[in-house]
Amino acid sequence: MNAFVQYSVLNVLFAVLVSPLFMSLIKKVKALAQGRKGPSLFQMYYNLWKLLKKEVIYSSNSSWIMRVTPYVNITVMAVAALFVPLILIPQPVYGIGNIILFLYLLSLAKFFMALSGLDAGSAFGGMGSSREMTISALIETITIVVFAALAFALKTTNLHEMFLQILESNMLFLNPVLILISISVFIVLIVETARVPVDNPETHLELTMIHEAMILEQSGKNLALMEWSHAIKQLLFMGILINILFPWGIAVALTQYSIVVSMLAFLVKASVLAVAVGLFESSCAKSRLFHLPSLFTIALFFSVITILIEVFA
Amino acid sequence: MFISKGGRLVRRISLSVAAISCILLLAFSSIVVYQNQALSFSLYQMLPALQFSFFIDRLAAFFILIISIISLSVSIYSIGYIEHYSGDTKKNSLVSLMILFMLSMILVVASKTLFSFLFFWEIMALSSFILVMFEYEKKETRKAGIFYFIMTQLSTVFLLLAFIMIYNATGSFDIAKVSDASPFVFLFLFAGFGIKAGIIPFHKWLPYAHPASPSNISALMSGIMIKVAIYGLMRFVLFVLTPELSWGLLIFGAGVISAIFGVIYALKEHDIKRLLAYHSIENIGIILIGFGLYIIFSAYGLTQLALLGIIGALFHTMNHALFKSLLFLTAGSVVNATETKNIEEMGGLIKSMPYTALFFFIGAISISALPPFNGFVSEFMIFQAFLMSWSLASPMLEVLMIVGLTIFALTSALAAACFVKAFGITFLAAPRSEHAKHAKESSFSMLLGPAILAILCVVSGVFSYQIFSLLGYASLVPNLMIISIFLVAVYAFAFVSLRAFASNNTRIGETWGCGILSQNPRMEYTASGFSEPIVTVFKSVYKTKKTNHRTFFDKYQSIFREGAGEIQLFKFFEEYLYMPVARATDYISRRVSCFQRKDLDFYIACSFVTVLVLLLIMGWLA
Repeated sequence: MNAFVQYSVLNVLFAVLVSPLFMSLIKKVKALAQGRKGPSLFQMYYNLWKLLKKEVIYSSNSSWIMRVTPYVNITVMAVAALFVPLILIPQPVYGIGNIILFLYLLSLAKFFMALSGLDAGSAFGGMGSSREMTISALIETITIVVFAALAFALKTTNLHEMFLQILESNMLFLNPVLILISISVFIVLIVETARVPVDNPETHLELTMIHEAMILEQSGKNLALMEWSHAIKQLLFMGILINILFPWGIAVALTQYSIVVSMLAFLVKASVLAVAVGLFESSCAKSRLFHLPSLFTIALFFSVITILIEVFA
Repeated sequence: MFISKGGRLVRRISLSVAAISCILLLAFSSIVVYQNQALSFSLYQMLPALQFSFFIDRLAAFFILIISIISLSVSIYSIGYIEHYSGDTKKNSLVSLMILFMLSMILVVASKTLFSFLFFWEIMALSSFILVMFEYEKKETRKAGIFYFIMTQLSTVFLLLAFIMIYNATGSFDIAKVSDASPFVFLFLFAGFGIKAGIIPFHKWLPYAHPASPSNISALMSGIMIKVAIYGLMRFVLFVLTPELSWGLLIFGAGVISAIFGVIYALKEHDIKRLLAYHSIENIGIILIGFGLYIIFSAYGLTQLALLGIIGALFHTMNHALFKSLLFLTAGSVVNATETKNIEEMGGLIKSMPYTALFFFIGAISISALPPFNGFVSEFMIFQAFLMSWSLASPMLEVLMIVGLTIFALTSALAAACFVKAFGITFLAAPRSEHAKHAKESSFSMLLGPAILAILCVVSGVFSYQIFSLLGYASLVPNLMIISIFLVAVYAFAFVSLRAFASNNTRIGETWGCGILSQNPRMEYTASGFSEPIVTVFKSVYKTKKTNHRTFFDKYQSIFREGAGEIQLFKFFEEYLYMPVARATDYISRRVSCFQRKDLDFYIACSFVTVLVLLLIMGWLA
């Protein structure tokens, strides 16, 4: 019980505090790829600080949905951070770590966010919500199949147990199935964090936008919370991918030394992944909304292949 | 007539009495569910073989529990709701028939013999038919009523056939184990209960009957009547017949098809009650998926997974009853307040009807299977059964499981999209019509009824782990109470710390409209706009036909003169299944009607020939 409380506090605080760093890092990589200098690595922290000091403007049409959505989002992301061990793998208790519960917690945040897009009565928000729910209906399906493939490969439905198993068995080179799955998880990461080619995080007022359109009416500290929770969500999916592909360095017992090592190890691994995401984004063009299902089909294909290998092997 | 007497007070008293008896039933059935002891008693013997006797075990008590909860809240809701209709006779008959309807459902579930099961089943069918026809002045109601009547009688015919076959096999009318029943018994039972439950392709009566009937009746029909059919299917498949793998596959397949098509059709609906009706089809599909998984996993001896399937199905039965009745009741309040069923003409109701909006919101979260509410828990169990199916011995079934899982996940995600639309367009933003602008919050009883259901939706989700521990199935679900405590704690922490450390200045401004000075509701996103991307992605299912024709002033087609466009949705089941059957029936009856003459001699000759032919056949068979 005590160990679990320590894990919760450590993991959640780490996720909340570190997550903005990787948003800026990806921006920086993209800027460098385009030949620009790019923002500072701490730019997102500055942005959040600025937004927290500004006043909040609510639309006269909006209701309590608009007001609670930022808090619901940050809350859900913080609780979801319990499910993805970033620096320490605990013993699973209370069913925390279950992949279905994890995915549906994220859906809860998305449900509120989509409603807040409709709340102000602006056409942009509605358009964003509509597209977001369309894409999420497709990608959630695929995410579940991807995690089903992971469950079939590792014979458990708990993320904590999965990662522990991968860590203990050095499975990377023995089990090529995990490489297949990580391609799918990478696509899920790109889609869930609203990146090119699905969505463009840089634009605000073009028809390409999905995520940014939904939070267009948010301002001040509410906008800060929305952006922060988006950063945490990205970190969590990065954490899943890292733990599937390269879990070494993560602590399994709570000692001061192992925690510091595991924090540093995670920062290095996540930076590498963030650079990869930035380069991937730079090499793609935004694709049409109705061409996206073909990208999703690739993820579905690899995870179904994985399951078939597991079933028939 | 007795019915034409009595005013508001009489209706109030009779509904309150109904509510109190529901509370008593609730207490009784929860004791039976908790103690897991069966009761049995005999009431009335009509003929030696035909008796009304009752038997209540855990399964029956569980369904009686569901029926009494829903009946309780619908009775309370109806106190306010029926006063919107005019005419004492009409209102009184609505109350009396509604109570008869509730009673008949309880007695179907409690029946011990085939005879009393069928008797009360028919009472249930007839009383609900009259209730559907309540607004018989309207043309669409009459169409819906006849549609419903034919389907429900068809269901009874199939059940009657199955029951006769069971009687032939055992020689008694008891609902008891039959050792060697022919597979037709199962097929007839499946068709009979399937029609009543609204399994695709027998689903067509739901989207007709629900918008036509009063909302409290929709809540009863969708919340519990279709569950009585699920009860019948479970009772007969598990306790009378011996389930086989192929039946499990049939039930599973029907469930998957109903779930996905139900939600896909729901997405394009803008009539709020029809949208909810399609969601009932979807949820019946989910229940059948759980039940089908139970039979499949049992056949392979995987008891833990089978348990997940059946408990998931049963819990979803209860959850669907709770949140669907909640949604129908609140939708009824909204329809009353705005005088339209079209969500495109609503909007902004969260300000004028805050409590109704909150209750609908809780229902929407529950039906979208979002944690920590109850819809999540039951879908979670079914997901868990799918994900843990790696130990299934047959690779082909494994592939089927993956297909099922994919479709089930898609269903659940689309349901969330659909309820973002339903809640967002109905309750949020600015009012889209004059009626919506002047909507008023409902009366107290119309809030109390849904409030009970909303609280139960939250409680049975958050405390699901504790409830299951009490019943002895602790290991099936994660402890959502802990998750909820975390959620509340983090929310409070975030709120308090931002209150203390961030700026608290707020300002009310107008929605930004790209420089337009004042926005009007016509600029808001519409429901059709909202579902358009999904309709486009699934255009092969809808068979959408988009046509437009334009004319131009010049031959280079650059100066636009006028044009028109339309989107046509194709009704697959109506075109290819229902209409051919109807046309064939029509054709045959037209041919047969030439026998109908007016002279007696011809009829006598006909009877004589019939008797002769029958005798010959009997002789040949014997």
